[in-house]
Amino acid sequence: MAKKRKHSETKVAENENKEETAPERPERTLFGFKTSPEDVKENDSTLFFRNKEKVLVTCSRRISFRYRHLMLNLVDLLPHCKKDNKVESKGSKGTDLNELVELRSCSSCFFFECRKGKDLYLWMAKCPNGPSVKFLVNAVHTMEELKLTGNHLKGSRPILTFSANFDKSPHWKLLKEMITQIFAIPKDHRKSKPYHDHVYVFSIADDHIWFRNYQISTDHTGTAQKLGRGDLENMTLIEVGPRFCLNPIKIFSGSFGGPTLYENPFYVSPNTIRSMEKRQKAGKYAKKVKAKTRKKMHELENPLEVDEFADMWKE
Amino acid sequence: MKQNGELLNGTEFDMEDDDPVVSESESDSDEDGDVKLSEPAKTAVYNKAGLLDKLGDICWPESVDWIHKLSLDIDQDNEVNVNDDLNRELAFYTQALEGARQAFTKFQSKEVDLPFLRPSDYYAEMVKSDTHMEKVKSRILAEKRKMEEAEERRKARDNKKLAKEIQVQKQKERAKQKKDDIESVKNWRKQRKQSGFAADDKDGDLSLAFEDGKAFHRSGKKRPGVAPGDRSGGKGGGKFKKGSDKKMKGRERKDSKYGFGGRKGMKKQNTAETTEDFRGYRQSNKKQKV
Repeated sequence: MAKKRKHSETKVAENENKEETAPERPERTLFGFKTSPEDVKENDSTLFFRNKEKVLVTCSRRISFRYRHLMLNLVDLLPHCKKDNKVESKGSKGTDLNELVELRSCSSCFFFECRKGKDLYLWMAKCPNGPSVKFLVNAVHTMEELKLTGNHLKGSRPILTFSANFDKSPHWKLLKEMITQIFAIPKDHRKSKPYHDHVYVFSIADDHIWFRNYQISTDHTGTAQKLGRGDLENMTLIEVGPRFCLNPIKIFSGSFGGPTLYENPFYVSPNTIRSMEKRQKAGKYAKKVKAKTRKKMHELENPLEVDEFADMWKE
Repeated sequence: MKQNGELLNGTEFDMEDDDPVVSESESDSDEDGDVKLSEPAKTAVYNKAGLLDKLGDICWPESVDWIHKLSLDIDQDNEVNVNDDLNRELAFYTQALEGARQAFTKFQSKEVDLPFLRPSDYYAEMVKSDTHMEKVKSRILAEKRKMEEAEERRKARDNKKLAKEIQVQKQKERAKQKKDDIESVKNWRKQRKQSGFAADDKDGDLSLAFEDGKAFHRSGKKRPGVAPGDRSGGKGGGKFKKGSDKKMKGRERKDSKYGFGGRKGMKKQNTAETTEDFRGYRQSNKKQKV
């Protein structure tokens, strides 16, 4: 196996340190080979940016069928991803996952963690030092549902749309950046297809991120490059799926760990919800008994007046 | 910690799949409820500086072309209520539509030189397989057929009601007509009697009593002719007819026997019509003896 380059060498943020030491060997960054600061200024106009994003997609063991299909759908949607085997996630899952990502030379990771066969948590992380987010996933509808009738090319680059409230707070901004980097397929990726025929919707409603994927269908009268006159109006969208809703729980500074940068104040874990419901139900019998004794006390305290007509029909 | 949260259902309408093969798409609407705390927990961490720091670390440089990111920000006009399924989906749809339109105008204007609309003859692997799309199509067709049938049934029901009403009206009219005719004959007789049985010319008072001088006119509708040897009175031929045809209700039976001049029994049997009438004879493929 070839010697793996450390990802820290390719970080774009290292640009600032160029002035101090001109390294002997030109450093390989996302901008191609960098020689020295002076050359950088010359080549500014011809800088090319290569998106070398690679996503590792894994899940935990004991994941249920619906969530597994969601994961497979995402694998279909992201041609720049690598799917890996199930990860035994007890205990040291952070370090294990980091190692796995390094091994497969990926720059981000999607980890689907299913607890109790019911709750799905999604970890989205930029490795090696990037921030990571843990989401709770709700409202999952996979692509296999027959009501989602659209279809699009496998690997065509999507158009990402974000609702305007992503720019309102820093944590949403960070999430938006992470989502853009992960979901946008690199431009000249080997497995990507040329045309643009689907749209992603990431929208914040009620502090959740809602995801939708629509196919763009135009019966276009123009050619492949020019739209006919009325085509923009005739455009319709057909939902392809999958659909899910993400509830951010925590944002960590490191990959799968590290100091917490953000904690969602409104988040209630599903376990707590279930225990609350059970407690509500459990109180039913006790309430009934209490109500009975209360009624008895009330009757004792307020005796009824003697009814004049009580004996009327008695012979 | 006391939580008097409102129960938020973060899920949507039921999606039911009636295909047993594709088993993974059952409805899941009520399992993933989400409760939101009405007061935020006091201990929540919110490190804004740290977040912005990290953002600066990971984000792509500013000079990157839009073509790499393909991301658009769409303004949402009004707050969307997550529990209102239809409006929520509509909001997402409009956001996507707006985004697609903006993107397409950008593609066109930039002259990126890359075609962005898929030509109709471009065949490549799609994200859903052909067999799956077949299933989708058959489901859509089945739904359409069901709707059409329901429509037709409703129309037939309405028509029947209408036809019934019309029939009742017609019957009433006929009865009225009959009554009127009889009345007019009576009146005419009375008149004649009063005027003392004067010699009646053909042009006399005859014309008064009857409306428009129309002679009595039997309607051209004939009862279907009864074959000579037919004892059943024309209805219910053969042994193998379906159930309800055999049972004739009392009135109907009597009508067929005695109504409108009764059975043909004693009348002419060998007429032009009856010689051509082969209703009682079943068609057989066997050669007949000549």
